[in-house]
Amino acid sequence: MENQENDPIEEEEIIIRTTSAFDCGGRCPLRVHVKDGRITRVEGDDAEEPDQLRTCLRCRALRQYVYHPARLKYPLKRDGPKGEGKFKRITWEEALDEIAKKLTYVKKTYGNSSIFLVTGGGYLGALHDGTFALMRLLTQFGGFSTHYGNVSSEGSVYATQTQYGSPFVGNSREDLLNSKLIIMWGWDPARMISGTDTIYNLIKAKESGIKIFCIDPRYHDTAVILADQWIPIIPGTDTAMMVSMAYIMINENLHDQKFLDKYTVGFDKFKEYVMGDEDGVPKTPEWAAKICGVDASVIEQLAREYATAKPAALMDCQGPARSAMGEQYNRTAMTLCAMTGNVGRHGGSAGGGLMGIPYGHMFFGARIPPPYRNPVEVGGKSVRGSLDLQIRFIKRCHTNKIFDAIAKGKEGGYPFDVKFAWFVNTNFLNQLGNTNKSAAALKKLDYMVISELWMTPTAKYADIVLPVTSIAERNDITRPWPSGPYYTFNNKAIEPLGECKSDLKIAEELSDSLDLGEEKFVKYPKVDRILKTLVKMPADTRKNIRDFKKYQEEGIHRIKLEAPYVAFKKEIDDPENHPFKTPSGKIEIFSQRVADLKNPHNPPVPKYLSTWEDRNDPLIEKYPLQIISPHPPNRVHSELYLVEWLKEVAPHRAWINPVDAEPREIKDGDQIIVFNNRGKLTIEAWVTERIIPGVICIFEGAWYDPDENGIDRGGCVNVLTKDAYSEGGASALNTCLVQVSKLENWSG
Amino acid sequence: MQVGFYFDQTRCIGCSACRVACKDWHDIPAGPENWMMILYNEQGKFPDVFVSYLVRPCYQCIDPVCIPVCPVNAISKREEDGIVVVDSEACLGNEECDSKCLKACPYNAPQFGPEKGAKMRKCNYCLDRHLEGKLPACIEACRTRALDVGTLEELKAKYGSIKEADNFKYSERTKPAIIFKPKQ
Repeated sequence: MENQENDPIEEEEIIIRTTSAFDCGGRCPLRVHVKDGRITRVEGDDAEEPDQLRTCLRCRALRQYVYHPARLKYPLKRDGPKGEGKFKRITWEEALDEIAKKLTYVKKTYGNSSIFLVTGGGYLGALHDGTFALMRLLTQFGGFSTHYGNVSSEGSVYATQTQYGSPFVGNSREDLLNSKLIIMWGWDPARMISGTDTIYNLIKAKESGIKIFCIDPRYHDTAVILADQWIPIIPGTDTAMMVSMAYIMINENLHDQKFLDKYTVGFDKFKEYVMGDEDGVPKTPEWAAKICGVDASVIEQLAREYATAKPAALMDCQGPARSAMGEQYNRTAMTLCAMTGNVGRHGGSAGGGLMGIPYGHMFFGARIPPPYRNPVEVGGKSVRGSLDLQIRFIKRCHTNKIFDAIAKGKEGGYPFDVKFAWFVNTNFLNQLGNTNKSAAALKKLDYMVISELWMTPTAKYADIVLPVTSIAERNDITRPWPSGPYYTFNNKAIEPLGECKSDLKIAEELSDSLDLGEEKFVKYPKVDRILKTLVKMPADTRKNIRDFKKYQEEGIHRIKLEAPYVAFKKEIDDPENHPFKTPSGKIEIFSQRVADLKNPHNPPVPKYLSTWEDRNDPLIEKYPLQIISPHPPNRVHSELYLVEWLKEVAPHRAWINPVDAEPREIKDGDQIIVFNNRGKLTIEAWVTERIIPGVICIFEGAWYDPDENGIDRGGCVNVLTKDAYSEGGASALNTCLVQVSKLENWSG
Repeated sequence: MQVGFYFDQTRCIGCSACRVACKDWHDIPAGPENWMMILYNEQGKFPDVFVSYLVRPCYQCIDPVCIPVCPVNAISKREEDGIVVVDSEACLGNEECDSKCLKACPYNAPQFGPEKGAKMRKCNYCLDRHLEGKLPACIEACRTRALDVGTLEELKAKYGSIKEADNFKYSERTKPAIIFKPKQ
């Protein structure tokens, strides 16, 4: 012990300033200790408080992630049946040569639309992102097919486009301290981060005396420390409760009619629906109580408190929108924000789920663009500004239909037949609905390449697996996900492991073997130079980051805002000069663009609509429990799944209320089987009072591991979910009915 | 002098960032050896549920009961700061002495790896960091700033002197050096 005083480590170690590029909800400065070319430890931000940005457990385990023995280090070629995971090592030359030959063959034989690029959120850096590198290459190769809609938040994106014409609906997190009341609806930042240090700002708000309500099927860890009141709610019924809150406000004249008159269109039509003038059903709290399971008195009290506490922040996160008719939930929340006059005000909120601010938002991220539009998608109707989802599917398939499109192609009504698929930044077999059906589709797919760090459940179906570098092995620039205000720089900490290459490099090397005609695929061997260019590309970094060298050295560029950012402040303070980006220039509670679609499942004013696989579905006789699959607390979706430090702190378990466990003889810690007509999985039961009866919760992202009987032993929740999307494009993964049995009592 | 911990139980979300930071800093593999543990308590019936988390490092007790029970005097308390340290090389290992320190400690602070005859190791308040004037890894890792350290005197001046918290029993025998803002 005495020797520790003279520990020589400090003298030899160097500190590399970087961050992650995970789709994790935050972006946190890291100081990575490197000795003799190896990462030895990871520390967080060292800025003085209150500017310090504290990383979560995920990046605390970065070292174990980077050096995990399961990391792929060499190119692999499948050497057994698809899905079994048998591969042999090949050289890069062999791998790229085979891919080039296949691409050329598919292009010649079937045309470019049969080349399918499947991309996800696995890497969110600007330069080495394989999504953009491959889009650029395949565009120059004659084009490719791809998919539309992000799995996490498409319902919220559609809803915000409908009512505000903009996805930038968030306020600075510190603005929460200006609220008098905060409603956290389906929002659990303890787990899903939602911007680095969001939870800390909420704690400060709570400790300053601001009342906080948490509405959620689960008493989650955020509610544990923040909730003055937890209001448990039946999944998929949030909109009904919100609509009845509107009823109370209208009935008791608590709404801000002046605000509605000045800034919105269509409130009268919404009012007709709410009061029952339209359909003869007044949306009273008693009406809602029967649907959502929340006592009418609780709804009344919340509606009154929310309407009269000015300002108040209704924070409707994206999870409840990840369901059938999910768009209605965010639309109704935005309508409540307008009814209470809280849009564009400090301490208020605009609603809409996305919670992003435009200082560092990843939506503005730089990339090296393709020289021209993807030839496969050129022509036809413009999708810009349209709320007609179907025109997006003239060229693309919905993301939650990727595997259905692979299986059925044009015969199934999709715009292309897939003969070659390249998966990058994604483990979608695991992460989209109906995994068993998807696996069957992959078995029949002609040819598949995947760029990966791991032998994921998806990678097991590939013909060629290309090993890519981790963030620690790359220089890149990254953004703080939904909330800044800052920009991060990733300094390369170590050399690539094994024969791993960056996604950019893979595209560059492959370009040598592809016939691009007269064209040249531009390569960027001087990384620092192109990163400098990428910083100058988007308006916000061009304006804010004047000293590239300092930004690189410090690994972060922080911005000081004079006041917390508030979404739509300009539009509210000066509506003459700053109309909303909607056709009317106002907040569209009634949307003519949606009305024109004449789709009863996508009404022009937000409404509660019963859905498939809710508690009214006759299927409930057979599958009496709803299942929800929130983001996991200890990994990023399915990324980091194998990291033992993270695995041990949060065992993969199914939440089940004693009310549901006891009649099934299920005790805490028992192995159970969760099943429906799409799949079966086994998992440990966690019998807890923290979940509403009738609902099971399994965090998404555990790796699919089917046994010989097709029962998933990995606890991948998507063997149960449906590959369906809602009318506005939300992946309906939280709309799902199941049955549960104690495994030893289960007879199949 | 006596250093100690402060834990604001009303802020802890049980996220385990402290636990992972501890394992990274001290290079401890996943498994039974945990210098930092998180205890969970759930009470009540739906929907009136009470949940608390409790951090469990070695509390660097004022009168450590682990010291006198060690047959080879491998555990000692540093005079200059009160940190309880173990000479793992001198330790006989958990089989030979039957983990006497672990049995004596009311908080299960002494830790052993999975191997046969594992030597005792435990939280040492990040002594290496402490000697460099740095905070323990767990303190810097806490996202909700629920943890603090310092001399007990400083901590009491800053936070008061509450010795009890949910799921925690103050042991008069060993006198753990921790004060709380308890969750009620």
